Amino acid sequence: MQVPIMPAKGEKFIIPIGPQHPALKEPGHFEFSVDGEVVTGASLRLGYVHRGIEKGTEGRNWVQTLYLLERICGICSHVHATAYCLGVERLAGVEAPPRAQAIRSLVAELERIHSHLLWLGVAAHEAGFDMLFMHSWRDREIVMNLLEGLTGNRVNYSANVLGGVKCDIDARQTDAILAGLEHLEDRTRHYLTVVTSDVMFLRRTRGIGVMTKDVAEKLGVVGPTARASGVARDVRLNAPYAAYDRYPVELITATAGDLEARFIVRVQELFETYRVIRAILADLPEGELTVRMPRRIKEGETISRVEAPRGELFYFIKSNGSDTAERVKVRTPTLPNMASVLTLAVGHQLADMPMILAGIDPCFSCNDRMIVVRDPAGRGAHWTWDDLREYGIEYYR
Amino acid sequence: MSAVFALVIFPGGVFILLAGMLYEWVDRKLVARFQNRVGPRWFQPLADTVKLLAKEEVVPDGVNAQLFVVLPVIALAGALTAVLYVPVFGLAPSFSFSGDLIVTIYMLSLLTLCMGLAGANTLNRFSLLGATRTLTQLFSYEAPFLLALLGPAIVAGSWRISTIADYAAGHWLILTQPIGFAVALIGLMGKLELPPFDAPEAETEIVAGALTEYSGRGLALFHLGKGVELVVGLTLVAAFYLGGVTNPLWFAVKTLALLVGLAGVQTLLTRLRIDQTVGLWWRYGALLVLVQFLALILWEGVIA
Repeated sequence: MQVPIMPAKGEKFIIPIGPQHPALKEPGHFEFSVDGEVVTGASLRLGYVHRGIEKGTEGRNWVQTLYLLERICGICSHVHATAYCLGVERLAGVEAPPRAQAIRSLVAELERIHSHLLWLGVAAHEAGFDMLFMHSWRDREIVMNLLEGLTGNRVNYSANVLGGVKCDIDARQTDAILAGLEHLEDRTRHYLTVVTSDVMFLRRTRGIGVMTKDVAEKLGVVGPTARASGVARDVRLNAPYAAYDRYPVELITATAGDLEARFIVRVQELFETYRVIRAILADLPEGELTVRMPRRIKEGETISRVEAPRGELFYFIKSNGSDTAERVKVRTPTLPNMASVLTLAVGHQLADMPMILAGIDPCFSCNDRMIVVRDPAGRGAHWTWDDLREYGIEYYR
Repeated sequence: MSAVFALVIFPGGVFILLAGMLYEWVDRKLVARFQNRVGPRWFQPLADTVKLLAKEEVVPDGVNAQLFVVLPVIALAGALTAVLYVPVFGLAPSFSFSGDLIVTIYMLSLLTLCMGLAGANTLNRFSLLGATRTLTQLFSYEAPFLLALLGPAIVAGSWRISTIADYAAGHWLILTQPIGFAVALIGLMGKLELPPFDAPEAETEIVAGALTEYSGRGLALFHLGKGVELVVGLTLVAAFYLGGVTNPLWFAVKTLALLVGLAGVQTLLTRLRIDQTVGLWWRYGALLVLVQFLALILWEGVIA
C-alpha cells in the first residue's frame, strides 16, 4: 500500500469511496473532498466493470446478440431484451402479436417490482436501517418466485425472442400472480407508511439531496429520480411501446425532489405496477406468441426507447443487411443520473453520500463503456483487439 | 491466590470473556431473528475470535507500531479491570473500595479512548474519520451516562458499587428514576456503538471506522473488549436500576431482559448521523438527566 500523503494546511482532505467499498455493490470510484464532515467537492471515475458488450454484439448474429444484451443488467435484464427486440422488429418490419406484447409488458412490470423492492432494501441499508432492508428483500422473493414460475428463471428471465415471447401464461399462473400481488400490495402499503412516517428514517431522508425541477431538467435525469423532482417523464406514457397503449400507466410524480420524494415515488410506482399487472391479466388478448423473423435484417437504423425501472433505456441499432448487427449502442439510465450525484453531493454531510448515491439507483456495470475522446498514442480511430488489450493492461497497472 | 483466581479465571478473565461472547451471540441472534434472518450459530463469536487470534497481524505503513500493537491490549485490560469492581454473575464484586464507581466508568471509557487513538494512529482516512467520530460520540454520551449512574449513588449515599448494589437490591430504582434508567441504557448503546449510534463504524460510509486497519489479533482483542463491556454495562444498569442482581439467576434474567430491549432498539431505528447523535445527547439526554439530578438532590437534601 502506498502511504497517503497527509494534507498540508489549506489542502483538501479527500475521502475515497471505491472502487472497493462497502457502500458500493459494484465498483466505481468517488472522491469526496471534505471539510470535517461536510462535503466540499466530488468527482467520479467509472469504467471498472467495462465488459465490451457493445463490441461483443458485432461478432454475433441477431439472435445470439439478444442473449448477450440480456446480460447487461442482472436486475433489469428483461427491459434490455425488450428494447432490443422492439428495435430489431421495427427494422425487419415485423410486429409481435398482441399477446406477446402484453406478456412483454407483464414481465417488465413484474421486473419493476423486483427492482424497486431491491432498491428499497439497498437504500435503507445505506441509511443503516437494516430492518427495512431485510424485510423488503424477503418480500422480493415472492416476485422472484413468480418470475421463475412464469419464465423458468429468477434472473435473466429470457422471456423475449425476436418476434415475440417464449412463455405463455395459463390460469394457474394467473392465480399465482394475483395471490402474490395481494400479499405484496399489503406489504407495500406498510413500506409506504414506514418511509413517510418513521421519524428516525425521515431525519435521514427529508430535505436531503434536494434537486429542484430546473436542475433535474438541466442535468437530464431520467426515471423515478426525475419524477421525484416533478419532471413528468416516463417512456411508457410519452412513447408507449409493447402493450402500454392498451394498458395505460399513470404517471407518479412528487415535487419535493429530496430523498424522501424518491422513496415515495418508487413505492407508489409499485402500486401502479400492481394495477397494470392486474389489468393485463384481466384482459390478455388471445393469439399467437411469435411471428416469423427473417434471419437477415434489412439495412437501416433505428432507435428504441423503453422505461427501465431506473429510467429511460435507450438503444440505437444499425443493420447493414446481414445476419449481424453493425452497431448496437446502449445508454442505460444510470449514465444521465450520475451527474446529479456529483451536483447534489456538495454541501451535504459525508454520512448522506451513500444515500444520495443510492437515491438514483445506480447500476455501474450496465453503465460502463469506453469512449475514446482523444487518442493519446496517436493511433487511428480503429482499435484492434491487441490495442484494446494493451490499453487495458496499462489502464489497470 | 484467590486474588489471582479472581483476576484470571473467575469472575474476571476466562469466564467474563466467554460471557462476553455469549452475550454478543445473543445480541446478534436476536437482531437477526427480528430482521427475519437465521442469525449466527451459538459458537460463532468464539469461532471468530479463535480465527482472528490465529491470523497474522498486519501492521500498516506509517503507524507507530508499538502503539498499534499495545492499544488493543490496553483496551481489553481496561474492560477486564472494570469487571473486578462490578457484581457480575450475581456475586459480590471481587474488589471494592470507596469511589470505585468512578474508576469503573473510567475503565469502560478506556476502550473507546483506545479505539479513538488506534484510529488516529493510522494514516487511513476512514480510520481518521472514524476516530474523530468515536471521540465526538464519547464526549456526547459520556457526561449523561455518568450522571445517570450517579443517580443511584446519590440515593444510596455512597460511591462504592457494592454499597449501591446492596441498596438497589431493595429498591427498584427504575420506578423512581425512569429517566436515569433510559439514559443509562441508551448511553450504554452509545458506548458500545450499537445501532442507531453506530456512526463511528458506519460501514456504508467509512468501512469499519477507527478499526479499519486492524486485522488478526488486534481486532480480536478489541472485539473481546466490547463483549466484556457489554456484560459489565448490562450488569451495572441491572444492579442499579432493576432491583439488583443478588444471585446468578437474577443476573441472567435481568441482564438478558435488558439485552432483548437493546436488540429491539437496534432493529427498529435508523442510524443517526454524528451531528444528530451529538444533538440528541446534549439537547435531550443531558438536559433530562440533569433535571432528574436536580430533583434527586432537592429530595435528598431538602425534603428527606
